[in-house]
Amino acid sequence: MTRLGRTRRGRVRAPAAALAILAGATASLAVVGLGTADTAKLKPSTKAPAVADDWIWDLPSYVPVPRVPADNPMSEAKFELGRHLFYDKRLSGNGTLACASCHLQDYAFTDRRPVSPGSTGEQTPRNAPTTVNAAWHASYTWANYSLVTLEKQMENPLYGERPTEMGVTDANKDEILARLESDPRYRDLFRAAFPASEKPFTFDSVIKAIAVFERGMVSFSSRYDRYLQGKEKLTEAEQRGLDIFFGERGECHHCHGSPNFDDQFVHAKSRDVELPFHNTGLYNIDGKGAYPAANRGLIELSGEASDMGRFRAASLRNIAVTAPYMHDGSVETLEEVIDIYSDGGRDIAHGPFAGDGRSNPYKSDLIVKGNFSAQEKADLVVFLKALTDTELLTAPRFADPWKR
Amino acid sequence: MAVGLVLAAAGASAQTSKGQPVAISFGLAVADTPVGCGAPLTALGTGRVAASLNDARLYVSDLKLIDARGGRVPVKLTRNEWQFADVALIDFKDGRGGRTGCSKDNPAKNTTVVGTVPKGRYAGIEFTVGVPAAAEVDGKQVSLNHSNLETAPAPLDIAVMNWSWQAGRKFMLAEVNPAGGFKRQDGSPARTWMVHLGSTGCKGNPATGEIIACARPNRFVVTFERFDPRSQLVVLDLAQLFAGSDLATDKGGAIGCMSDPSDPECTAIFQAIGLNLNETKPGAGDEGRQTTPGRSPIFTVRAKP
Repeated sequence: MTRLGRTRRGRVRAPAAALAILAGATASLAVVGLGTADTAKLKPSTKAPAVADDWIWDLPSYVPVPRVPADNPMSEAKFELGRHLFYDKRLSGNGTLACASCHLQDYAFTDRRPVSPGSTGEQTPRNAPTTVNAAWHASYTWANYSLVTLEKQMENPLYGERPTEMGVTDANKDEILARLESDPRYRDLFRAAFPASEKPFTFDSVIKAIAVFERGMVSFSSRYDRYLQGKEKLTEAEQRGLDIFFGERGECHHCHGSPNFDDQFVHAKSRDVELPFHNTGLYNIDGKGAYPAANRGLIELSGEASDMGRFRAASLRNIAVTAPYMHDGSVETLEEVIDIYSDGGRDIAHGPFAGDGRSNPYKSDLIVKGNFSAQEKADLVVFLKALTDTELLTAPRFADPWKR
Repeated sequence: MAVGLVLAAAGASAQTSKGQPVAISFGLAVADTPVGCGAPLTALGTGRVAASLNDARLYVSDLKLIDARGGRVPVKLTRNEWQFADVALIDFKDGRGGRTGCSKDNPAKNTTVVGTVPKGRYAGIEFTVGVPAAAEVDGKQVSLNHSNLETAPAPLDIAVMNWSWQAGRKFMLAEVNPAGGFKRQDGSPARTWMVHLGSTGCKGNPATGEIIACARPNRFVVTFERFDPRSQLVVLDLAQLFAGSDLATDKGGAIGCMSDPSDPECTAIFQAIGLNLNETKPGAGDEGRQTTPGRSPIFTVRAKP
């Protein structure tokens, strides 16, 4: 958990320009000890623009500091503003939807629905992904190699029209900002978050603050983490599940092997970032590999036939509380997910999506029949349940600030 | 886990006044034809199929030159983006993603290991394919094979070459795309026939400081009594690697062989490499060990082109 910390170290005197550079580079300065890495602490001189000097990444030794865009350094004030905005329906065009409407803390910031309704009632084609540990994602949403920062990703739910989610438009933007500015609480929050800005009430500030809140949504306190840190022992079943998961028996780690249990993990020191996407054999509507319309994955972006059905491997952290599963929420339980991987894909017998996904010609070569025994399946589920960070689900730091 | 403490001193060269520089070149071939980058592959496997290269990389470690009396002299590797401690990563793919063969304008990413040896005359070479469990770096023991990918120094930070903490790194990765694809056991199509070699049956967890012990280490040593680094290169021969494998099919387990002792494709692949996939006889305890120390038929020495 990132904790609230406002430690002060010795003053560093540096010209303003150098301070600004350092502020952007803090993430990469802080990785040496491999233990709890924190950002360089800088106390700006009175003339220097304010810089983030109070952000602490409180991370276990096996998690490196994430990559932070140079133009949006972390700060507690931005985090706090971002938290208020994340939970505020006034941010949507018609005032009915907040980010938190589809990203609920109780469910590790997902929403228990296969797909989600936008502010005008339109359904999204895909399942609301978690915002937890999003700081370490190399790309965002289910299948889009163009969205590589949270700031860019956020333009989708805010401004997107197909479907409409938050319903922010050129026509209502100013009205929305005026709603925020009329609230005295926001006047303080925006000023604190963007002290150097003449005009803090802009969508640029809104996006930056929410991105900081999301980047700060850190979750590495599951039972599995306590085991890694030597604080708890796994049960025999959990250990067996772990061995299947990380061993050559399950081959799960090919796509879920990073500290965040995915395969698009990027951090401050990453050199060579690859963006893998995978077809896991969920559909095969026409016998030629087709996935359902509007949910065909990377092909919708690239136009390459071989990108049919390719999606980003989701993080498995907190997976026990983030049902339903897959890009379209079409799998209801963890047990069913394990069954699908045991079979090397999904055979749908009836209905409009009937077809044998197991023989999808575009299926990843990493997906093979696991042929797990009932015992192995149960062990895998038990292990996956150890990835839930119960602290995250109730932490006041991430909770709705308007409820006080 | 002190690995992350070692931030490569920019451009630090291991060359000392006492040493002489040495550069060992590696090459990729199909029998007598040099390949690499995107060069087409011909006559692979029992079906003599055509294929294209999907990927080919390997970790080389514990590199030694052999002197006239047969003594082994360690090469001190220069620290750079491709080398750390006594491990180097060889990458036969090119920066452009492999649509054409290697050329001056389109070189393979890294095919040379550089370092220094004490001044002297040398006749041969010996190296290990694999990443050692640990090595001494700047006077400290650091974990290598099972180190955390996310905090490990280059070249141990390559996601493609990582399996998991338990299994460690992939020591050697050779992937080919047979022309027209091939069939899995259930008749469904597959594209890439993969060989991933690494330690298996590993227990323990480096994050908790538990000692990692692998039932099958799967590292192997290659010795050439006669080798001249100036005029020769060490060649990984894909024809030999796939000699006993049918690239038109996959009969179960991972597609190709990913070192799983129960995978039917691993029998021929391990035999080609010169590794015991399983015990040679019950109780021998030699699974995952080299059949004949120093010998691996997939490597040969060739004159530089």
